Amino acid sequence: MWRAFVVPALLLAALEAWARTVGAASDALAPPSAAVLALARAATNGSLWTATAFTLGSAAAGLAIGFALGVLAGCALGLSRRAAAFAFAGVEVLRPVPSVALIPLAMLVFGFGVRMELAVVAFATFWPVLVLAQAAVRQVEPQLLEVARALQLGRAATLRAIVLPAMVPRLFVALRLAVAIALVVAVTVEIAANPHGMGYELMTAQQSLDPALMLGWLGWIGLLGWGINAAALALQHHVARRMGAAA
Amino acid sequence: MTDAVLAFDEVAIHLGGREIVSPTSFGVARGEFVCIIGPSGCGKTTLLRAAAGFVAPTAGRVRRLGRTVEGPGREAAFVFQDYGRALLPWRNAEGNVALALEAAGVPKAEQPARIAAVLQTVGLATHAKRFPAELSGGMQQRLQIARCLAQQPALMLMDEPFGALDALTREALQDEIAGLVRREGLTVLFVTHDLEEAIYLGDRVIALRANPTRDKPSVAAMIDVRIPQPREQLTAKEHPEFLRLRRELYGFLGHGH
Repeated sequence: MWRAFVVPALLLAALEAWARTVGAASDALAPPSAAVLALARAATNGSLWTATAFTLGSAAAGLAIGFALGVLAGCALGLSRRAAAFAFAGVEVLRPVPSVALIPLAMLVFGFGVRMELAVVAFATFWPVLVLAQAAVRQVEPQLLEVARALQLGRAATLRAIVLPAMVPRLFVALRLAVAIALVVAVTVEIAANPHGMGYELMTAQQSLDPALMLGWLGWIGLLGWGINAAALALQHHVARRMGAAA
Repeated sequence: MTDAVLAFDEVAIHLGGREIVSPTSFGVARGEFVCIIGPSGCGKTTLLRAAAGFVAPTAGRVRRLGRTVEGPGREAAFVFQDYGRALLPWRNAEGNVALALEAAGVPKAEQPARIAAVLQTVGLATHAKRFPAELSGGMQQRLQIARCLAQQPALMLMDEPFGALDALTREALQDEIAGLVRREGLTVLFVTHDLEEAIYLGDRVIALRANPTRDKPSVAAMIDVRIPQPREQLTAKEHPEFLRLRRELYGFLGHGH
């Protein structure tokens, strides 16, 4: 376990040494120790917590909307060949639109603030969830559906007792992917447009030529991203084991 | 045969333009254990699936309890060979049996007693809370059989149910199913490619041939097994009748004919 930290620690130490000697006059880089101190100041004056809460809050809200709609739409398209045929062209045209390209439109519709950010996050997470949910419906073990036929289980009961539980492990795979996307997109929206959150703080630090604070934010975002993705992965594995299916 | 639980009248089945089963007639009487054997690809599973109502015959008709089969029905229970893919991995043993009762609309209050009874019957009473992944292959297959028993079927259709098990477990389950059939008075149509299994379990063995033609129809032989019940692995398999039938039927499993 400790071996994993050797290379990052060496890199940090090298950066520290370089920034204190050769790069002492650099406007771009600062020693990691200075970044930690700057981050600690942001924590004491409260800006760290408000920005973190804003970004995680809007990412979570956008994810909730995108995931819920994606699962519903994916189920509909997975269950009905006809619905899938009708939706196919629309999905294939809209899905590849980079979510960042929607920022100008979202700004016009919602203005600055939470709503435009979560709209972009919801859009970005909706598509992969839709595709994975649709596949999950279609990948339900055919023999289980035959068991349902043999038992003459009704349509609604088959959906509730077999199709939905069979989808769960794959939905958690979709959730893990969507969590990572939501975080990236939320920070991107803040860097590009929205004057709130961690991305905005990062940009402000950069524009006020404060590389220590900028690197502090960068490290903090990285740390949060790692923690959240690790938690999502752990949840996915836990569910996959409980539901007895290979994810 | 009007009192037959299952009756095939000149049933032919074509799949993908190929004749899988040529016109075939036979019946299974109440309490009878009929085994179907034949080489791979002879259509024995297709025949069983037609009995279940999963496959519609191209010609002729299948009747269960005198009524023409138009699809699956709860009077016929189907035991799949691949128990691993026929059980719900997210439900424990009880929950898997409950599926049959939910499908039949059995009131919630009556379910626990009936679940306990069938799990007891197949010897899984102490494993009611275990999940399929926590059970051995033989136990999983017994669980599937329990789920079928829970629907109180007039007819059990079994598709090579012991084919994926090791030899010792297979013999143990053969004896269990034979005992079960006698105690519960079940009617069984049992598909297998194991000749000895067919003779050991069956009251009657139907041998199918692959690639049926006009003068060589699907049913190559239909033979009554006159070995007294209850049978026991060693003595039954040394019984002169067993040896004679094995020799007689051996040719139908891809050795000549």
